Amino acid sequence: MNWEVWTMLSKRSFFNATLFRKNLTRFWPLWAAPSFIGALFPLAALTQLLRYNDSWMKPLSATEIYYGIVAYGVPIVSLIYAILVAVAVWSYLFNPRGVGLMHTLPIRREGLFVTNFLSGMAMMLIPYVITGGLAILIFSCFGGFEPVGILVTILAVVGESLFYFASATAVAFVTGNLFAMPVLYFVFHFLAVALDALVCLFAQGFLFGVSGSYTGTAEFLSPTVYLMRHVSTHSEYTERFIEDSSHRLGGYWRSEISAVTLENGWLIAVYALAGLALLGAAWLLYSRRRSESAGDVVSVRWMKPVFRWGVTVCSAMLGGIALYEIFWRNFQYGKYYEAFPMAVCMLISGAIGYYTASMLLAKSLRVFRGSLKGLAATAVFAAAVCCVLHFDLLGVEERVPKIREVKSVTFYAAGNNYTFYPGEEDALLEQVRAAHLAIAQDADYAARAYDERGRNGSSVTTTTVRLTYNLRNGTTLSRRYSLVVTPERMETPGTYDFVLDRLVNSAEMKTKRLHGGGSGYVVESGNLYVEKKQEAFSLSDREARAIWEAVCLDAKAGTWGTYNWFDRSNAAEYAVSLSLEFVKKEYTEAGADFTLHDYLDINIRPGMTHTVDALLALGLVTPDQLVTYQQLYPEQYTDEELLKMEEIKLWEEKFGIAYEDVYDSASYVPRPIPSTEDVTPNPNSAPTVEDIIAGAVSESSVGIIGGADGPTAVYVTGG
Amino acid sequence: MIEVKNVVKTFDGFAALDGATLTVPTGSVYGLVGPNGAGKSTLIRHLTGIYRQDEGVITVDGQDIWENAALKARIAAIPDDWYYFNQANVPDMMRFYKGVYPSFSTERYEKLKNVFPIDEKRAIRRLSKGMQKQVAFWLALSCMPDYLILDEPVDGLDPVMRRQIWSLMMGDVAERGTTVLVSSHNLRELEDVCDHVGIMEHGKVLLERSLVQLQDNMVKLQVVFGEGMEEVPAELGALHTSRIGRVHTIILRAGAEEATARLAPYAPLLVDAIPLTLEEIFIYELGGVDYAVKEIVL
Repeated sequence: MNWEVWTMLSKRSFFNATLFRKNLTRFWPLWAAPSFIGALFPLAALTQLLRYNDSWMKPLSATEIYYGIVAYGVPIVSLIYAILVAVAVWSYLFNPRGVGLMHTLPIRREGLFVTNFLSGMAMMLIPYVITGGLAILIFSCFGGFEPVGILVTILAVVGESLFYFASATAVAFVTGNLFAMPVLYFVFHFLAVALDALVCLFAQGFLFGVSGSYTGTAEFLSPTVYLMRHVSTHSEYTERFIEDSSHRLGGYWRSEISAVTLENGWLIAVYALAGLALLGAAWLLYSRRRSESAGDVVSVRWMKPVFRWGVTVCSAMLGGIALYEIFWRNFQYGKYYEAFPMAVCMLISGAIGYYTASMLLAKSLRVFRGSLKGLAATAVFAAAVCCVLHFDLLGVEERVPKIREVKSVTFYAAGNNYTFYPGEEDALLEQVRAAHLAIAQDADYAARAYDERGRNGSSVTTTTVRLTYNLRNGTTLSRRYSLVVTPERMETPGTYDFVLDRLVNSAEMKTKRLHGGGSGYVVESGNLYVEKKQEAFSLSDREARAIWEAVCLDAKAGTWGTYNWFDRSNAAEYAVSLSLEFVKKEYTEAGADFTLHDYLDINIRPGMTHTVDALLALGLVTPDQLVTYQQLYPEQYTDEELLKMEEIKLWEEKFGIAYEDVYDSASYVPRPIPSTEDVTPNPNSAPTVEDIIAGAVSESSVGIIGGADGPTAVYVTGG
Repeated sequence: MIEVKNVVKTFDGFAALDGATLTVPTGSVYGLVGPNGAGKSTLIRHLTGIYRQDEGVITVDGQDIWENAALKARIAAIPDDWYYFNQANVPDMMRFYKGVYPSFSTERYEKLKNVFPIDEKRAIRRLSKGMQKQVAFWLALSCMPDYLILDEPVDGLDPVMRRQIWSLMMGDVAERGTTVLVSSHNLRELEDVCDHVGIMEHGKVLLERSLVQLQDNMVKLQVVFGEGMEEVPAELGALHTSRIGRVHTIILRAGAEEATARLAPYAPLLVDAIPLTLEEIFIYELGGVDYAVKEIVL
């Protein structure tokens, strides 16, 4: 008697070697094909390394590659591979004959469960072992051996494989149908984000200002999305001067990797633990599973109503939107859904979902008898949802989070984005809240005015306001408003027009727009395009800083930053495009640093003397190039062209994106950008900014508006 | 000994087994007969550990069969619709069975090669239905089981192979004391091999006796009555009567002697007692519970 049989004869055997071996030999293409394909990658890397045989691999470079694969490759590969393997090893559950054979064998169900699970895990891991082993071997031969990175990678791959295969196993015990299993598996993995997006889409159609974009509230329930968004590699580099006598400067700077971390790698461990919990649930389901459920779409009795009503609700919402858009949108008055037609559409699509689910569960088309109760419940659901949303019984529209509830707030208005953090600018943040509240409380007017905007003459304009509150409870509240503003209401206290205008054009917001006031941002570079010369410059940090300081002075003098809601034509601006890039160093909770970037477009107008002087002083423009767009292109500023620009403006309001973005992406012609040396001002032709500042200091007072790492001195010329 | 007591099994409210009770003595060949849908296959799936009963008890040698690997190692089952792994040939399946059944005999497997003329290298799924059935017997008999549970086992086999297989099984019964439970519609065949019979209907075992008891309990009489007596007297309580010329055929639930005695008061001119076939017993027993003879597929 062989050892396998002795093992089996023990009172409780959790493993059957024959079955394990049989699974591996039966389904060999499942692990052999990915192993072969996976092995091609390290072999390709080997050819690269041999081709550049002078390159000696850094151990951390290899770790960076491993972590990159763990963060961005393994979740997707494991997601797909796990369902293929699970379908194979659990296929007997879906076939009455197969389940008959396996359950007739002298192997207890726990033996079948453990053996099949382990053989599935083996199939999951074999390709990783072959691919990873080959990669480690090759990289190690070239010096890329780093044991900690290898260990972390192995643990991460095993953890992710365990989670995905365990989730596929749990799904296998929920269903008894081979075709339903992959469907339910992907539903399980993406239901949370899909429902989030669906609910947002639905709410957006009913509620004023509610954003249709996905909130990520329960994203952790969609592990692939969550892992891909949160687990990442972080590498740090140090610069080292390499002495090289052949180089004209006696050497050169080389950037070398100094540290690699797998950011949020602990999440993989959490999901692996969740995988173990799912495995436990799967075993409980198996121990209670009725063999006769083979072929059933849902094999667990208590899950059948969950399936039926889940399909009904999703169908009612998604199908409701589809039917409404097809059949009722053209009859709709205004921007928002009408409750009754939507309820009817929801009822129809919900009923379709209800009967479809019932047919799948019953494996029969005869499900209509006795279904009136279900139909009535669907009708009640549709009516309740439409009433709650139409009358905003939950108070969603007027919800404005309190400062103590938020971690940060992003506010977009008048073409600019602002980010606020409680504790830093509470007074300004309170004003932003007040503006939000003013908009929310004027919802009826705002919605009506927007619908009727075409009839109110040219004194009316539209604008977009967006608010995103990142709340302390981990959720996000987003609002997006398309608003009509009028000169009359802008002068009427209490209206949102008034509140927005006072807020956007306040000195504090101008300072904030320029990243003054201790935001942590530092101007680092920029771009300048001189239309008349048709020449672009990349600004050095010194030039960008000098220009930024000059713009700050203009802002203080009131010559820059006042937003005109009703005239957004650039006719009176100088034909010069100026953009400044700001950077800010931030730290993750794990202590790793990363850099935030922000860009600010500066429209230069006559009267911005400080900015103009700085540009001239830096030699970036000459006085003759400082002409307005209207002076440069008079033909484009005829009444007809202005009308066209107004149409573009309305188009931008409608779609919420810049017309130029679309236009440029379709027919972008790169403009030549000169090198940094090219834009270095000629010391003989123009004074340097240091000269200007030095001259200014001798006859001026000094103002301080703040900087990234401590206050930044801004020299304000007197007189 | 296999014992089934008051087993109930429902599928979506339908009782496939509704208090089924039967006993299969050790070393016997037990024929389980019944019309389509009577619950025979469902009962067999319980006996092989596939289904778990809602109520009742199923034991083999006094032990519960459910999740009893040691007990199941002594049982070989051949369902009506056998399952083989995709692409597997006979040696593949043999190795699998050998690894799973502790009593699997390679020696017997080799011996049985001569009985089953099958191309071993061909995938089993590519074999004919009859050949697949032969493979099932080949493997099951190689497991050297103490219990053989068979559901419609010889369907699809040619007459020579049927005889061969029955001969092998009877050999096991005689030499090793193997207990056989066989469900079949082929009553003539069962009559030749079974020593016990159970008749199922509507999820219940209506009747269970040894074949001898069964045959002693019912008799077919060919009777000619005297002049003036055209009909069979109702007081006889005949299960069935028919008439050709003056000869009446009467089925009575009684032994031959008792039946003859019951007829004596009517002074029949001729009485001839003929034993019933299993097929006739099946028909007339079920006739008692309104089973229409015309529906039986034999």
